[in-house]
Amino acid sequence: MKASNLFLILFAFLLGISAGLAYGWFIDPVDFYDLTPDTLRADYKTDYVLMTAEAYRVEQDPGSAARRLAIFGVQSPSTIATEALVYARANGFPESDIAILQELVTALQAWSGIRQ
Amino acid sequence: MKRSLWLFLTLLCALSLGTGVGLSYAWVVSPRSLTDSQPAALRSDFKDQFRAVIAASYAATGNLPRAQARLTLLEDSNPIEALNAQAQRAIAVGEFLQADQITALALALENEADFPAPFSLPPTSDASSPGNIDSTVTPFPSPDALSFVFTGTPEIVAGQTIEATVILNTPTPRPTRTPMPTYGAPFRLVSQEAVCNPNLPDGLLQIVVYNSSRRQLAGVKVIITWDTGGEEFFTGFKPELGNGYADFLMLPDTSHAVQLALGSEIAVNLVPPVCQTPGGDPYLGGYKLTFQQP
Repeated sequence: MKASNLFLILFAFLLGISAGLAYGWFIDPVDFYDLTPDTLRADYKTDYVLMTAEAYRVEQDPGSAARRLAIFGVQSPSTIATEALVYARANGFPESDIAILQELVTALQAWSGIRQ
Repeated sequence: MKRSLWLFLTLLCALSLGTGVGLSYAWVVSPRSLTDSQPAALRSDFKDQFRAVIAASYAATGNLPRAQARLTLLEDSNPIEALNAQAQRAIAVGEFLQADQITALALALENEADFPAPFSLPPTSDASSPGNIDSTVTPFPSPDALSFVFTGTPEIVAGQTIEATVILNTPTPRPTRTPMPTYGAPFRLVSQEAVCNPNLPDGLLQIVVYNSSRRQLAGVKVIITWDTGGEEFFTGFKPELGNGYADFLMLPDTSHAVQLALGSEIAVNLVPPVCQTPGGDPYLGGYKLTFQQP
């Protein structure tokens, strides 16, 4: 077999791999179900933390807020709330929402300190 | 010619094989990153948690449009049914506060009216980011806005006579009851019928609760009393018989009274009727009560 033919075959093989990757990653990627909350997009995560903060504002129960945030995994509740606060500030959330998030962050930091 | 055909087929095979390898890698070995997912793709128990937090947030803010916008993210085929089903699950595991909040949200969505949330804060005019919905925050007063009054202690001068002050014993006003939020108009007892069915347990009292749209309501507390006792239970524990269904075995020869804790007309004098089988054997029948919001 000629070297040029071998090269052509190798080229066709690589072309096929590229086409397969492009199709599988971008054109028709795998649909996932039954995901865990840590895979949520950052704005959805932030909105979840905001809901927790809204509930905390009335309930004033940092333990309950911490339990609600625990679905995001191994990070501490105050870290999760702080990340949401940073995202909210960086993405132009209204001051009222930022104030609520700030209140939750402060409460969870104090609560974490009490627990330690 | 034959060699060209062979080469063409070989190239086609190489291309197909490469595509297969690429697809396997992209779909099986290393699918696209699992970040940036939507709430609709969450596992069902995490969706439940999401709904519970939406309901808690609604209970705190009373912001129904925002709660609706958040619920749509979960892409439930029927959000109200999903909330009712979750309320039943919450009751089953003893999470009554969560069940109340979820039921309140379901009722509010059902009625689409100005439903009183258990707690509400006055809204502010800020535009919000996710969902473009107004948020509800009460700003704290700034320190400048607070007025302080300094009081001094009067000095006693030597020789000064101090007059005794007579303190009148004025009664302290008694605390008044804070009105509890209600879930809308009281329920009406729209039907009360004796049921004689030998296939049912003796003395079975069946209760079905509907809202104004004729939808069955889960998580509604039912209070039943008789001369020597009483019992409380909830609708929705037997979803196969309907979300708003509950039942109770009445005591024989005893008068029972039934009402809903949310406020309803009272069904009284419910004594299990004596029925007869086709063969003439006596047995205890029951009642079926239907409550509905007007």
